[in-house]
Amino acid sequence: MLQPLRLIRIFIETSVKNETAYNANFWVSLLNSLLNFGTGILGVIVLFGQIETVGGWSFASTLTVLGVYLTVGAVRDLFISPSLDSLTGMDGEVWIGTFDFTLLRPVDTQFLASVRRWRLFALFDLLLGLGVLIVAVLRLGTALTAAHLITFLAALAMGTITLYAILLAFSGLVFWSPGFLFSWVFNGIFQMARYPVRLYPGALRLLLTWVVPVGVITTIPAQALTGELSPAALIGSLGFSIALFTGASILFRGGLRRYASASS
Amino acid sequence: MNHRGGWALIQQTWLSWMQHRSFFFLLAFGWMVPPLIYLFVWSTAARGGTIGGMTRGAFVTYYLVLIVVNQLTYAQTNWTVGDLIRDGRLNQLLLYPMSPLYNTLATEIAGKVVYMIFVIPITAVLALGLRPELHLSVTQVIAFIPALGLAWLLRFFWGYWLALLAFWITRADSLLSLQDALIFLLAGQVAPVALLPGVLKTAAIALPFRYMIGFPVEVLTGQAAGIDLAAGFAFQIGWTAAAIILYLALWRRGVRHFTAIGG
Repeated sequence: MLQPLRLIRIFIETSVKNETAYNANFWVSLLNSLLNFGTGILGVIVLFGQIETVGGWSFASTLTVLGVYLTVGAVRDLFISPSLDSLTGMDGEVWIGTFDFTLLRPVDTQFLASVRRWRLFALFDLLLGLGVLIVAVLRLGTALTAAHLITFLAALAMGTITLYAILLAFSGLVFWSPGFLFSWVFNGIFQMARYPVRLYPGALRLLLTWVVPVGVITTIPAQALTGELSPAALIGSLGFSIALFTGASILFRGGLRRYASASS
Repeated sequence: MNHRGGWALIQQTWLSWMQHRSFFFLLAFGWMVPPLIYLFVWSTAARGGTIGGMTRGAFVTYYLVLIVVNQLTYAQTNWTVGDLIRDGRLNQLLLYPMSPLYNTLATEIAGKVVYMIFVIPITAVLALGLRPELHLSVTQVIAFIPALGLAWLLRFFWGYWLALLAFWITRADSLLSLQDALIFLLAGQVAPVALLPGVLKTAAIALPFRYMIGFPVEVLTGQAAGIDLAAGFAFQIGWTAAAIILYLALWRRGVRHFTAIGG
């Protein structure tokens, strides 16, 4: 039972050794993190410099959504994206055929494909995200109860699982269309999660809630923190994230059976 | 100067890009999303009132024009020029009997054609659904054309001189990330420049970024008129000239400095 944890530790160690070989990349990553953080914050500040509330969302509660966006995004950059991205694209394993070696390893392929590469710099992004959340909660001015905090953590975990499931499903599609960068499509849509889904018009809001459930990932945890989340929505999103996770795993495993290697 | 060779290269690049269009459509989609987010956010905010004198319909118009202008002026070659220098592929281009600028221009033009095939229909559909408000006058349209042309020149050469720093600095591409962030904030993407708070607004007017995207949009929608229009053009021409001079100076020095590694 401890074997997966031991493997993850080894994957982290090798990733760190790999990454520290590229010194200058540290500064580039730092710059990119700060830019992502700065433009996100200034975007909210500029908007609320002109108005008090939008669709029932105040400055502080919108900042909460941004904080969740940055936090979940950091978890994604920590291991989900670095691991899954090596499957897709024109130089990806499925396209060039090196996925053979991944399949041959004596562990579950989905597990291996999801945790094998780590980017520890994302921990810095995680700190920035948590910082935004703390400032947002202080500005909300309401007392944070233990119940809110627990619901928030649960919603955040479900949001992360939902995000993982979507990314896994999009990566799994690579077995049907090896060259197509499905994850890029999602990257575009995921950016919309910076703002509460209420700020988008009807049809798009439905799309972001039910088809590509970006709303579950950021808006619901933020609502849990501001205390506006109904128990029904929480249970709904729990069921939703489990269903997505199961669906994505089935899709990925179905895709694995289609893989027929590549030859030169 | 071998202009016929240059033209042949432009045609060839364009045709080969059309074969990979789904990839480029994806890229165009990704670039379209940030302005689209702010289109929705601002038009939701302005529902049933005005913000800084702009109605919901005015925000829709502003951002729909911005999506097209942003795509037309986006110089993705700025990223590839640095790569060519870093990995030494610039070697081959230097041996061609024409300036490597043609190579960049070929990619630039091929890109514009492919991206427009994607962006224009989508913008048109959005325009049908979102009911923009636009009162066009002949002067606005006439002023828009040079503003757009200059915006493209400025963004292209501004990015090009930054990319040429790759002759001396290995990770000059991080300057391009910084430039993209500044463009997001100051070029009218996060909000029309008139709605930015104090310091940001002053910075946006003085720095070159607004003249790469926001200014032509303001010209077409009529937000920049009279003295603003004249001052805007003055800034735009000044910054474009500065960008071209920097490009020429860095290119001359850089090529002499350039040594490819590998074999």
